[in-house]
Amino acid sequence: MGAGFAFTGRGGWVRAVLTAVGVGLGVALLLLTTALPSALDARHEREQARTDFTFSQTVPPKTDATLLVANVGTTFRHEDIRGRELEPEGPKAPLPPGVDKLPAPGEMIVSPKLKALLESPDGKLLRERLSDRIVGTIAEPGLVGSAELAFYRGGEDLASKLDNGRVVRIERFGEPIQGTSDPWDPVLILLVLVVFVVLLMPVGVFVAAAVRFGGEGRDRRLAALRLVGSDSGMTRRVAAGEALAGSVLGLVFGIGFFLIGRQIAGRMEVFEVSVFPSYLNPSPALAALVAVTVPAAAVLVTLFALRGVVIEPLGVVRTAKPRRRRLWWRLLLPIGGLAMLAPMIGQGSDGGDFNQYLVIGGVMLLLIGITALLPWIVETAVARLGSGPVAWQLAVRRLQLSSGTAARTVNGIAVAVAGAIALQMLFAGVEDDFTEVTPYDETRIQMQVSIPEGMPPAQAAADFRRTEGVRKVYAYSEGYVGEKRTDPDFSTQVTVGDCAALREVAKLPSCRDGDVFAVSGAEYDTDTSDMAKPGRTLYFDPSYEDGHEGTETPWTLPAVKRAEAAVDMTGSERGGLLVTPKALPAATTKSLGGQVYLRLDESVPDVYDLVRNTAAAINPLSDPMLWVSSQRSERYDSIRTGLFVGATCVLALIGASLLVSQLEQLRERRKLLSALVAFGTRRRTLGLSVLWQTTIPIVLGLTLASVVGLTLGVVLLKMTATGLSVDWASLLAMIGIGAGVVLLVTLLSLPPLLRLMRPEGLRTE
Amino acid sequence: MTPSGSLLVAEGLRKTYGPTTALDGADFSIHPGEVVAVMGPSGSGKSTLLHCLAGIVPPDAGSIRYDGREMATMNDAQRSALRRSEFGFVFQFGQLVPELTCVENVALPLRLNGTSRKAAERTALSWMERLEVDGIGKKRPGEVSGGQGQRVAVARALVTGPRVLFADEPTGALDSLNGERVMELLTDAARSTNAAVVLVTHEARVAAYSDREIVVRDGKSRDMERVV
Repeated sequence: MGAGFAFTGRGGWVRAVLTAVGVGLGVALLLLTTALPSALDARHEREQARTDFTFSQTVPPKTDATLLVANVGTTFRHEDIRGRELEPEGPKAPLPPGVDKLPAPGEMIVSPKLKALLESPDGKLLRERLSDRIVGTIAEPGLVGSAELAFYRGGEDLASKLDNGRVVRIERFGEPIQGTSDPWDPVLILLVLVVFVVLLMPVGVFVAAAVRFGGEGRDRRLAALRLVGSDSGMTRRVAAGEALAGSVLGLVFGIGFFLIGRQIAGRMEVFEVSVFPSYLNPSPALAALVAVTVPAAAVLVTLFALRGVVIEPLGVVRTAKPRRRRLWWRLLLPIGGLAMLAPMIGQGSDGGDFNQYLVIGGVMLLLIGITALLPWIVETAVARLGSGPVAWQLAVRRLQLSSGTAARTVNGIAVAVAGAIALQMLFAGVEDDFTEVTPYDETRIQMQVSIPEGMPPAQAAADFRRTEGVRKVYAYSEGYVGEKRTDPDFSTQVTVGDCAALREVAKLPSCRDGDVFAVSGAEYDTDTSDMAKPGRTLYFDPSYEDGHEGTETPWTLPAVKRAEAAVDMTGSERGGLLVTPKALPAATTKSLGGQVYLRLDESVPDVYDLVRNTAAAINPLSDPMLWVSSQRSERYDSIRTGLFVGATCVLALIGASLLVSQLEQLRERRKLLSALVAFGTRRRTLGLSVLWQTTIPIVLGLTLASVVGLTLGVVLLKMTATGLSVDWASLLAMIGIGAGVVLLVTLLSLPPLLRLMRPEGLRTE
Repeated sequence: MTPSGSLLVAEGLRKTYGPTTALDGADFSIHPGEVVAVMGPSGSGKSTLLHCLAGIVPPDAGSIRYDGREMATMNDAQRSALRRSEFGFVFQFGQLVPELTCVENVALPLRLNGTSRKAAERTALSWMERLEVDGIGKKRPGEVSGGQGQRVAVARALVTGPRVLFADEPTGALDSLNGERVMELLTDAARSTNAAVVLVTHEARVAAYSDREIVVRDGKSRDMERVV
């Protein structure tokens, strides 16, 4: 009968659809979450299947089944592009996944996203770098995500570059990774657990709120049932049946939303992460859990909601004075949560793994504590609010009469904000542990490019000087010299550059081309003073017994000037010999590798890509490095990215839920609103009253969320043994985002409010 | 019916809702202090006529003049102000704000006009006393009986001293005893303040409290000769 009621009449259907949409959105998000492990696995498997690393120390011999692979990955703007140059050494050379035929030199096979980029006006600059003819696209098995930028192009003469670290010879793709991967840091696991709980809790709260849409109308229907003889037990069963029907329809909607979302997800890229729809397969066990839990929760929530309502045959209106909420059991939840987390305080990364069950349980109890405490706080606070202007009075009285509805509306936001505050504190606290500060001085140099051996750096420098946006170019050749041809006892670094370039790395007394300087006293330098004797013969690139065959190029040291060590642009003190070009015989060039350091005018649009284009023209295997002052652990970054993706989805969901529940409340008050307007109430007064009605619980909810969030944050930081610090700006930002969502929802609900205030609402026929 | 000296006059009112014609050339007039019952079967257009007369719904055609002023020339804000200060309303259902106490409900129109809370509630209480519901001032509408609620609604309609009181089936949800008491109080109070009353009803028993009756049928109105 309850199920029948759920879909009876136009009003019934509207209510059922509202509930189903609400539950459906929650279910879709839950299904998406259950699909995440399989999506991550799928991405990992795809990555594994195209692995072209070799884990053995020796290069396999050339056969007709080997393939030379050069890593020519590059970056365009801020997006990484996976690139490989392929050169088969025989007809049986392996094909990478997703590729039918190896591209010939001058040809390129690209991912669909890269193809679109290269063919768009936006990709014009990149096209200069990747100028090969596109002869095909990489099929899905060769890509980890739908929006991945990747290409394979034909290569030539790669065998000669086998020893430079960017070229390998492989017999097959997807060589299994040997050994075990690094275990995850316990603090990172803690972060993952908390992120999951914090993101899923608001979804649960939202689903619970959604099954209570249309509560007042339902109460009236139940009262009518009581009138015709239904006892209170039967009435509750009917209510449960109604909720069950709504949530089952919600499940169907949820599956539909998920399937639609799955297809949309295939076309989206969030924080540089994209997936294929085929990746998003919910784990059957978890999906079944969702299918059982959601309807069960709907029934429980409904019965729980009816606990304080006396449904009498003449309606529920006589229960206008609800019984006061009790505080004691509501406090037990957060206290229980803290008790579960307390044993892990002070453990840190070194104290072994955190107990996952205690972490999940503790965080959940603390956050559920908000949903339990908030109705009590709202009730207690609004009971003390006095009279004011009419809009204020209408809002306060409404809240006093049904504070539970108001609290439910903001529960989701409050839980999300509390979780976000705690996570923000935890992330900020442990960020230093996962951030490595690089010694690079970004103010002096912004990019560094390696020059292939044998190429005079001056030539490369000239090319870079002609590149738009390049202000200064410092080119150096670098190598080592020993005092013997083989197995030298002493060795020192040699840096070759013009006087201007050398002045960037040491304090020179004076300089002209042909000078040689010995820098002593630099970090890690012990041999220079012994070796820097004029007339002594030193050998570039000496050979070693361990198999390294160097060029052993001799060089007789001319007069040597003394120079003082200074911190160079790489953040270190460069020792050894500093040599101007004329002081070196031409034969030594082949023993030196080159580096070019560039100072850029970063206001020039796409300056980094202009440099990358020049570097690619000089050497297709070059990998220009953009200097950054710090770099974070990739795992830390990916968790943070996950948080942002999840938080965006959750906030959108909560916003939608707020809007639906707001509209539903307005719809139920349609007749009253029309009557108020009929006797002359200004629309502004009613609009303001709705705003107050939302603002008061939100202020209370966000205050509670801040307290719980800060408490949880402090506990989590203490668990990770990290120093306490509160980033007040982030905290205020979180609160601001929460408040912003509510204000946005209020604004969006104003047009329907104005429509509902039309006098047509008074019509009964 | 001559409109001369009338407070509120309507001529040739037409109003349609989609394909439904609610009013089809209806006329109406009322003098100060007069009680006019608008009768007719369900769906005949009685409530629509009341809504048009009160400036709640603009008619598609025809003219409505209140105190010599053409209502069609007033904008929404002016019509709202008119309803706030010159008119009072009693409906059958859904008119009291459930979250406000009864005295706050009665005081609401005064507060909307800018009267201070204390003064408004003082005046409200005196009206509630007149309508014999002063004992339930602190209760919420959900806690009082239907008859008491309707008397609170009448008090609220009269609290601003309106010149016209619009009552749409004011006793529709009450038993006959309660209904009669509400009608007695309503008409007595209106007459004592010289307020005109437009009383929409389909019950002859209720219409008997009026000075004059008009019947609306198929969107057209006509005066009834009262047999005394």
